[in-house]
Amino acid sequence: MAAYVLRRVLWGLVLLVLVSLLTFVVFYVLPSADPAQLRAGRNASPATLAQIRESLGLDRPLTAQYWTFLSQLAFHANLGYSYFSQASVGSLLVDRLPATISLTLGAIVIWVVVAVPLGVVAATHRGTWVDKLTTGGALLGISAPVYWLGLVALYLFADDIGKWPLLPGAGSYVPFSEDAWQWLTSLILPWLVLACTFTAVYARLLRGNMIEVLSEDYVRTARAKGLSERRVVWRHGLRAAVTPLVTLAGLDIGLLLGGAVLTETVFGIPGIGQLNYQAIVHADYPVIQGTVLLAACFVIVANIAVDIAYAYLDPRARTA
Amino acid sequence: MSAEAQPAAALRVEDLRVAFDTRDGLVQAVDGISYSVAPGRTLGIVGESGSGKTVAAMTAMGLTRGARTRVSGRVLLDGEDLLAASPARLQALRGDAIAMVFQDPLSALHPLLRVGHQIEEAVRAHGSEVSRAAGRARAVELLELVAIPNAAQRIDAYPHELSGGMRQRAMIAMALANNPRVLIADEPTTALDVTVQAQILALLRRLRDALGMAMVLITHDLGVVAETADEVAVMYAGRIVEHAPAAELFASPQHPYTWGLLRSVPRLDAPVGAELVPIPGRPPSLIDPPSGCRFHPRCAYVRDRHRMVDPALESLAGVPSHRVACLLPETERRAIWAGLTSGAAASPVVAPESPSSGPAAGPASAERPA
Amino acid sequence: MPRPVKRALPFLTLCIALFALGACGSSSNDGGTAAKVDDGAGGHRGGTLSLLTSQDISSLDPGITYGSLDLNLLSAVVRTLYAYAPDNPTDIVPDLAASAPQVSPDGKTLTVRIRRGVKFGPPVNREVTSRDVKYAIERGFNPNVASPYASTYYGDLVGAARATGGPIAGLQTPDDYTLVFKLTRPTASLVAQSTVLPLSAPVPPEYAKPFDARSPSDYANHLVSSGPYMVAADRDGTVLGNGYVPGRSVRLVRNPNWGAATDDRPAYLDAVTFRIGGSTTVSGQQVLAGKGLVLGDSPTPALVKKAYQTARDQIFFSPGAGTRYAALNTAIAPFDDANLRKAVAAALDREQMRRIRGGEIVGDIGSHFLYPGVLGFEEAGGLEGTGVDFLADPQGDRALAERYMRAAGYADGRYTGDETLQVVGLAGAPDSNDAQIVDQTLQDLGFKTQLKLVDTTVMYGRFCGVPRARVHVCPNLGWIRDFADPQTVLNLAFNGKFIFPENNPNWPQLNDPAINRAMARGEVTVGDQARADVWGAIDRQITATGAAIPWLYDRQPNVFSADVRCVPELWNQGHCDFAYTSLK
Repeated sequence: MAAYVLRRVLWGLVLLVLVSLLTFVVFYVLPSADPAQLRAGRNASPATLAQIRESLGLDRPLTAQYWTFLSQLAFHANLGYSYFSQASVGSLLVDRLPATISLTLGAIVIWVVVAVPLGVVAATHRGTWVDKLTTGGALLGISAPVYWLGLVALYLFADDIGKWPLLPGAGSYVPFSEDAWQWLTSLILPWLVLACTFTAVYARLLRGNMIEVLSEDYVRTARAKGLSERRVVWRHGLRAAVTPLVTLAGLDIGLLLGGAVLTETVFGIPGIGQLNYQAIVHADYPVIQGTVLLAACFVIVANIAVDIAYAYLDPRARTA
Repeated sequence: MSAEAQPAAALRVEDLRVAFDTRDGLVQAVDGISYSVAPGRTLGIVGESGSGKTVAAMTAMGLTRGARTRVSGRVLLDGEDLLAASPARLQALRGDAIAMVFQDPLSALHPLLRVGHQIEEAVRAHGSEVSRAAGRARAVELLELVAIPNAAQRIDAYPHELSGGMRQRAMIAMALANNPRVLIADEPTTALDVTVQAQILALLRRLRDALGMAMVLITHDLGVVAETADEVAVMYAGRIVEHAPAAELFASPQHPYTWGLLRSVPRLDAPVGAELVPIPGRPPSLIDPPSGCRFHPRCAYVRDRHRMVDPALESLAGVPSHRVACLLPETERRAIWAGLTSGAAASPVVAPESPSSGPAAGPASAERPA
Repeated sequence: MPRPVKRALPFLTLCIALFALGACGSSSNDGGTAAKVDDGAGGHRGGTLSLLTSQDISSLDPGITYGSLDLNLLSAVVRTLYAYAPDNPTDIVPDLAASAPQVSPDGKTLTVRIRRGVKFGPPVNREVTSRDVKYAIERGFNPNVASPYASTYYGDLVGAARATGGPIAGLQTPDDYTLVFKLTRPTASLVAQSTVLPLSAPVPPEYAKPFDARSPSDYANHLVSSGPYMVAADRDGTVLGNGYVPGRSVRLVRNPNWGAATDDRPAYLDAVTFRIGGSTTVSGQQVLAGKGLVLGDSPTPALVKKAYQTARDQIFFSPGAGTRYAALNTAIAPFDDANLRKAVAAALDREQMRRIRGGEIVGDIGSHFLYPGVLGFEEAGGLEGTGVDFLADPQGDRALAERYMRAAGYADGRYTGDETLQVVGLAGAPDSNDAQIVDQTLQDLGFKTQLKLVDTTVMYGRFCGVPRARVHVCPNLGWIRDFADPQTVLNLAFNGKFIFPENNPNWPQLNDPAINRAMARGEVTVGDQARADVWGAIDRQITATGAAIPWLYDRQPNVFSADVRCVPELWNQGHCDFAYTSLK
């Protein structure tokens, strides 16, 4: 097992280098916006523009720039500095990470807690109103754009602009360490909105898996043993049906930790997603590189974790 | 010998009928079967796929209950009608007084739970005071009972980590967890290779004797039945067409279908190059069964009357324990069988005519000398 | 200087909504200014104002920044030599300076006296001297700072041509409170005006030099204030991570060293907080419904409509937010032909362009390039226009257009040449709608067109600002002044010497020798009125070439909460001036 993990981690590092190279190519070789121009404005003379380029290190050959970036990262764990605020990229990421983690983890808890029972009940009560409600609701949840859902949620429930003021509105997020209660209440709407799509997908997925699993032979055996129907469904059925969901959830978590930019923007949560978006608007390449690498990191780690989890959950996979 | 004369039957099935309401129509899977099994005795139920043998067994366990299932008749377990039992009562009896072993242990055992755990579950489901330690100990005991070596280690294995034979033993162990009075084994050796088959059958015999269970052994394989069963019931199209003590059935089978089954088994002493003799045709539709004798489209000895009259299960004169549902006279049947076994060209008494109902059956083949 | 004419406008639609806002020539006659400019009196002293903005400020460094929100912030934190009062965007008043600027008759010397008793905020804490202003301007030439406009406006200082951050000989400080600008050309009037830009805000050299030695300089993260407010900092003066969290917030608190006696501004508020991030749609609603809030972004059309209809005293349309115009590429066919240009100008329905943005409320029809509030506006013709026939009718004059087409050699009044016009505009309503109107106008004249709608950065950076891209028409351009002097509106935009291969500000690539010569003379004209006359005439000349079609003198809507007594900076797109604004 240890050897396996080590191998995967090493591969992950190779992948990260590739991602950094790709990001570099996209932004430095094929730029759509020039950070020097953005900073200089349309007023600046070519001389000033050149000066700004130089101070940002953008006039050096591309390979030299990439090498500097890579060596700084590998040997000094330094992700560089923002072109605009000169804040260190590392500090920006660290500053934003707790918000993104809060958002992601809360959403995950909600979607698991809601999707699993829904999926199971919809499968065991096929054709009833519960099933129809779940399937219909799922369709809605999957189709509704997150941004729109967020706006609707705010217009309904935000305490500053909502029709039924219940929960703190956009921009009210504070770190947990500052005010735990406000942290919690300010995240409820974002959690629900973010969880919506995922709940829908997972409930449907689980329903499908459960229906299949419940017709398997071993479920019949469980019943033949005289186990209670509850035990048959939850202990035997769910246990087998849930494995693909766990792996999917792991990947989704990895993706979300890279930043849920739409949710963060609507609710004004200062997370990695917003950082990334603002960096793109400003053509702040060091920050973009930092957020992309961080997101890639999470995805890679999530992949490894998911493979390990899968082996744990399904003993048949261990012999492979 | 009728079942009534035996000491109290552990399991008695009376006129069981099971139909499924499907989109294509009402499928009459089991159309009035009756049998009984006494403690310590084995009944073998033989038939091809679609004969209804598995459905009957599963219905006895209450595993076919559903909105679209229509069941009538009685299934008496020590006098208690399982078909009329409440779901709670049924759940209490299943795995306790009546247990079932299934065909493919790789798919019948939960792939993600350890074998020991699954056995433990069976134990603890029916004994509310059983602790985990006690359950585990019992599971080890059961594995030893079914002759799995290294039971204490094997108990933590997953089903895929065991060989086919071990898995089936484990499933048997699971079924025996609570000393059932009746054990139903549905094709327990079909998924196993021949040598393991023999071992499992020997095990089943041993256990039956040791624990005094009534056993129902469902199979399509006559060889299995020959070794293990005391009585044999041959099922066709949801009905029992022949029912006799095992030795009697093999000595003088009376139903053309049974003949077909016996003759289609390859024999080591057959001449080289001899062809197998299959039963022509396919199993009949259970939604729209053939008129008259259900077997007539595939029978080499069919007569006009057979297409119109549905034979009942009747005892042979002189051998009351041997019952058969066939319209051919007994003497004729004996003659035909004698002819078939002697290898002489068995020409049909009457040339078969083309079938008039039911699915297209192949032309009844005239027997050719081997 | 060509700044984007609008602030971060999100791409939501709904210009149709604005039809209701006094479009179609309705009689609403208050010029669109819903709330009135006032001096903030009536509110109380104290309280915190929160500004919601979806985009981060670009920099706190007064030597670097020039965006409107950044100026809004800096105007409360640092003091420039001269500044504009919120309600007068044309005439400079002394801020750090003690009195009006003294321009020598030959225009080559500018003398400014500085107030006494103005002190830097913590951690510097000492009195501001003329040497601090000198250093502030000199650091603009330091490549580590690379001020975008230092060489443009202070380039005439003696010794500036060789300056790289070290002392400039032409910038003299005979004593602690006097600053003398020695210039190589008679541009002292212009330099005096240019001191309203933040570069002239004092920077303490002993404190800032270590930061300016880094490449790029990070003085911004250690900004020292000289005005009524400061960016909150720790004891060492580090702003980054305290008062400024990039992408999240900026916190302004009172500068403890600010003396009310040295400043005419009341500074009612105790603190100002910028809340950065979030979506403009939501922020706008929050501002309208909430308390103590101001919207830093350009409000969405839907919000403008809602505010105008239901909360008229919470929205203010600030005039003088720039001129919008469509540029025609004069360097390549077919618009190297003046008659064709004039034909297009005559055919364009400028009323329709305005209507699609909301009608009269959003501004007056533009007819030349200097706009209200800029010196020389009246001299160029004011709202009436310069008198050219092809811009006489705001709704366009089809017959005249056809006459110009015929004069260009197209007998039917329609273009029959081979060129397919590349038209590049902005994506997102209502700009995309304006682009489409221009596109349609071109097609009605017989041109074949290819319309591309992209975002702002791409439009300027890859198409309209790059001559090599050979774009024929850019309908969504606009120009905002740097300060009231007309040179800042016309020079870079229309002078042939400013045609660059990239980052080109002279989008029509106008290169008329007579106009170039006139502008060269205008650069060295001395005296505000004289400059107004000269540049007003230049504006007429430029307009007459038809190189660009002006169509709107923009008004920028600003939205604020009901309890905010906003005093809008008319010189800066109507942002609420923190040193004057109060809470009720």
